[in-house]
Amino acid sequence: MNDLIRHYTTGVWLLLAALTASLWWLGGGSATSGVYATVSLMVIAFFKVRLVGIHFMELRWAPLPLRLAFEAWTLVTCLLVLAVYWAGQT
Amino acid sequence: MQREPIETQDHGAASAGEKYRQSHTPGETGIWVFIMGDMMVFALFFLVFVFYRAENTALFQASQATLNTHYGTFNTLLLLTSSWFVVMATNGVRKNLRRQAATLYGLAFLCGAGFSLIKVVEYREKIQAGFGLTTNDFYMYYYIFTGLHFVHVIIGMAVLVALIHKSLSGLREPGDLALIEGGASYWHMVDVLWIILFPLLYLMK
Amino acid sequence: MNKKAQMICLMGAVAMGILMTVGWWLLARFVPPPLPGASAADIALMFRENANGIRTGMVLMIAGAGCFMPFIAVISAQMKRMENGPPVLAYTQLLGGSMSVMIILVPILLWTTAAYRPERGDEIIRTLNDLAWFLVAMTYSPAIIQNLSIGMAILGDRNPKRIIPRWVAYMNFWLALLFLPAGLMTYFKTGPFAWNGLLAFWLPLVVFAIWFNIMIYMLYKAIKEQPDA
Repeated sequence: MNDLIRHYTTGVWLLLAALTASLWWLGGGSATSGVYATVSLMVIAFFKVRLVGIHFMELRWAPLPLRLAFEAWTLVTCLLVLAVYWAGQT
Repeated sequence: MQREPIETQDHGAASAGEKYRQSHTPGETGIWVFIMGDMMVFALFFLVFVFYRAENTALFQASQATLNTHYGTFNTLLLLTSSWFVVMATNGVRKNLRRQAATLYGLAFLCGAGFSLIKVVEYREKIQAGFGLTTNDFYMYYYIFTGLHFVHVIIGMAVLVALIHKSLSGLREPGDLALIEGGASYWHMVDVLWIILFPLLYLMK
Repeated sequence: MNKKAQMICLMGAVAMGILMTVGWWLLARFVPPPLPGASAADIALMFRENANGIRTGMVLMIAGAGCFMPFIAVISAQMKRMENGPPVLAYTQLLGGSMSVMIILVPILLWTTAAYRPERGDEIIRTLNDLAWFLVAMTYSPAIIQNLSIGMAILGDRNPKRIIPRWVAYMNFWLALLFLPAGLMTYFKTGPFAWNGLLAFWLPLVVFAIWFNIMIYMLYKAIKEQPDA
């Protein structure tokens, strides 16, 4: 079991958990203004998606087109969500 | 030097340590048609949600405030942890550590069960407080999106049971590793979808 | 001879596609769908103003629904080749497909009934229209059963040369999930989950069209490469 835990993905998991805590803090706190908090929330969330995709789904070893498809999904969905959100603010 | 039992039927050649130098598709290529297709549909869900939210921000914010953020956060952690177990389990299968792999898939399954339990408790609380599917637009999206995701979780738990079974018998036929990796990738996708649903429904301001 | 018969059956799908598009879309003008929340008077007016268009469109759709049957038979015939032993998945697909034909034929007759005497009460016309839409759009289980059985048969194929590529199986599973939101239209008169909504109508329709074309092509190849028995 130790062999399996001593793998770099355990670090990724810790990072993901820390990022989740930061989401919780950002989402609960009223310190930051709404728009910036939302943008940070979504950027962090999509960054988490990328971490899961690249390291847990092992896309870093995958053929380039597959990896690019995933990365493109993450980037484009994130940008579109933020754009629609931003358009709704004004 | 211990050789890893990585199959060469795809193009993932075994190499030193735990890394493939050559490119290797996790699972069979076909499963990615499903995964990417499903992710596209959920991307559409996310966009529909932000779009309609912008049309009635006050209502969405007021309804969002009635959700319990702790449940959402805890469930996020549960799915992340289950994904981590699945990563370790899959590495275990490759090293032919059958029992350990099966145990880890079992732990991932328990995380999924915990997620489901919390989800049911959460739904129950909301329904008892008088918030239903047709209460307002926010709750419509909340129930449908989390509900469809819940269907994914249930299917995923069935997949994990299959993975426990498969990992115990070890890699026998060519294609076994691809099946295991495919199932693992599906479970990670379930995680990925929740990672976005959580801030979208519970936290966005 | 058998190959020729299969090809002719496959062409049924093409005929269906054309007849449905012309009948449902161009003549009856049911795409985009009438608003689920429209008043009885508005729905009745729609049937009165286009009574002959709807009647003719429905005549074509009946023909189209018929052409769907041989296509479903071809799918099952090829699935039978994939299965070892009793072709239970092929039978399941056949049943799912038969039900799909039913839930297209019945609403066609409901629309026909509404257009037959458009002078009848508004409320009755709207009820017939509601019934027709629920039948055609909400009845999600036959299609899901079809997709799941097709996918399982493809994955279970042990022939040395696969009959249909495995990714088509996963596409079928994906489609099965996409049909699920259709079951929710009973709750909504507006929004993306109503019967004219983005997620309950347009998305499944577009994805069904993609599925339909890919299946036609894959079956065409499967029949062509089938060894002569």
